[in-house]
Amino acid sequence: MRTHSRATAWAMLSPWLLSFVLFGLYPFAFTLVASFTSYSPLEAGGARFVGFENYLRALTDPEFWNALRTTGVFVIGTIPFTTALALGLALAVQPAFRGRTMFRVGFFVPSVVSIVVLSLVFKGLYAPNGFVNAALHAVGLPAPAWLLDPRTALPAIMAMDVWTASGYYMVIFLAGLEAIPHDLYDAARIEGASNWIQFTRITLPLLRPTLLFVLVVNTVRSLQIFAEAFVMTGGGPLKSTTTVVYYLYEEAFTRFHLGYASAVAYLLFAITLVLAWGQMKLVKPSGEPR
Amino acid sequence: MSAAQEARESGIRQVAALPRWLWLGPLLLTMLMPFGWMLLVSLSRGASGSFGSALAGPFGWEHYRALFGAASVHRYLANSALVAAAVVTLNVMTAAMVGWVLGRRRVPGERFWTLGIVATLMLPKQVLMIPLYLVLARLHLLDTYGALILPFAVDAFSIFLVRQYVAGLPLELEEAARVDGASDWTIFRRVILPLLKPVLAVIAIQSFLTNWNSFLFPLIFVDSERLRTLPVGLALLAQGEHSVDWGLLMAGSTVASLPVLAVFVVFQRRILAGMLAGAEK
Repeated sequence: MRTHSRATAWAMLSPWLLSFVLFGLYPFAFTLVASFTSYSPLEAGGARFVGFENYLRALTDPEFWNALRTTGVFVIGTIPFTTALALGLALAVQPAFRGRTMFRVGFFVPSVVSIVVLSLVFKGLYAPNGFVNAALHAVGLPAPAWLLDPRTALPAIMAMDVWTASGYYMVIFLAGLEAIPHDLYDAARIEGASNWIQFTRITLPLLRPTLLFVLVVNTVRSLQIFAEAFVMTGGGPLKSTTTVVYYLYEEAFTRFHLGYASAVAYLLFAITLVLAWGQMKLVKPSGEPR
Repeated sequence: MSAAQEARESGIRQVAALPRWLWLGPLLLTMLMPFGWMLLVSLSRGASGSFGSALAGPFGWEHYRALFGAASVHRYLANSALVAAAVVTLNVMTAAMVGWVLGRRRVPGERFWTLGIVATLMLPKQVLMIPLYLVLARLHLLDTYGALILPFAVDAFSIFLVRQYVAGLPLELEEAARVDGASDWTIFRRVILPLLKPVLAVIAIQSFLTNWNSFLFPLIFVDSERLRTLPVGLALLAQGEHSVDWGLLMAGSTVASLPVLAVFVVFQRRILAGMLAGAEK
């Protein structure tokens, strides 16, 4: 290879190299270092090395545990519903029938709209005199204060998330369903297998990689929930919707505890890795080549 | 959709539509109801005070007129458009260059660099939130368009897509051009870019959708009102808890949704194809 072409190749690689170092590698290392210091622009005398103090502080801080619990409830409470709804929708719109494309597109639409817009709309729907309560009132049910009540604020946001995220995962499930060879179903039908048997013996096992992908992607996304809380509740009432990223945002950018917030960021990163790894172990069948 | 796929699809027996419509129809309406509500409130003159009175009418364009009468909203829209255009352009350019170089293994340590890209993909950006803010501060980019554009100008996933795509392209065209004495840049511009069009289109669309809707980083990196993008502007507009003008907010939300919905309707196939390419990894 001629030398000038290698130089050009490096020149073409350089935008990524620059961005990787400046906006990836350096921040990653900096967060790690900062998490062991008392770094804060508000503190006089600069940053001190404090060892694991920030981590210990986080792990003994009720506010951090509250944020962690809130995020945990969010993840555990939404993912089964989102996954089931997404898979159900995918199964419903997979076979050829008139109007199929309209349904596929329609269910996906919430996924392309800004989360800020969705949050604003749902804030209005959940308002004390809003649409949801008007509907409940019409059928004689009690109308809670939704986002204004610490007991119902988080479930309200979770319901919105299931509602708006399912269409996205439906499309991923559709891809998985398309990949299953159709003659398996034909053979099963000849053997007289019921739909349920076909679903549990063919669809579910062969959908395992897709299921794993959906679980991991959705978990990582759910752990980062922020805009909903910022727009709809401001983390309240009584911190009932303060998620980990919301807590991180507050510590870093309203209280300027940058060292401490860096430790929280690393704890979030560690939790993300452990959960993603755990799900891979759980869903991947042992001893099966795949 | 490929011909083979189409043939297989037509082989699948048609399922009777009516029973499906009976339960999927109401479900779809329920799912899309919030958008209907958004439109109604944005058009309802009585909605500014209470959100519940929107259905009562009378209807008109007042809220949109008020929205576009407010100079700040013009600004938000222009900022969103400018930032999205810049990010999409830079994203497509860098993904094409870097992806081609890596796909053709033209630099030593190609595996190492690819590993770096995959590592970037696994890292949640929120972890980098604080130091990214500090890096931008040190570069004197905070509260400038640079903060809204530069950290997002190079996207690891886009590079990865191009790299995979390049691996499937025939080498002959490039070699023929090289024999003719074309320089690398000429080959890139004349041979590679046209070949990459399909994958670059997918990247452009996805990067537009992501950037147009982006919220957390524009919120953190920018302080001045004149630099706010539409999502940030709308979110902060909504924060006056008791004086929220719902009609105006819903008009703004509708305006914010129209470009992404238009892009989605036009490029629906490519968007779904791009998502599926991601799911298969």
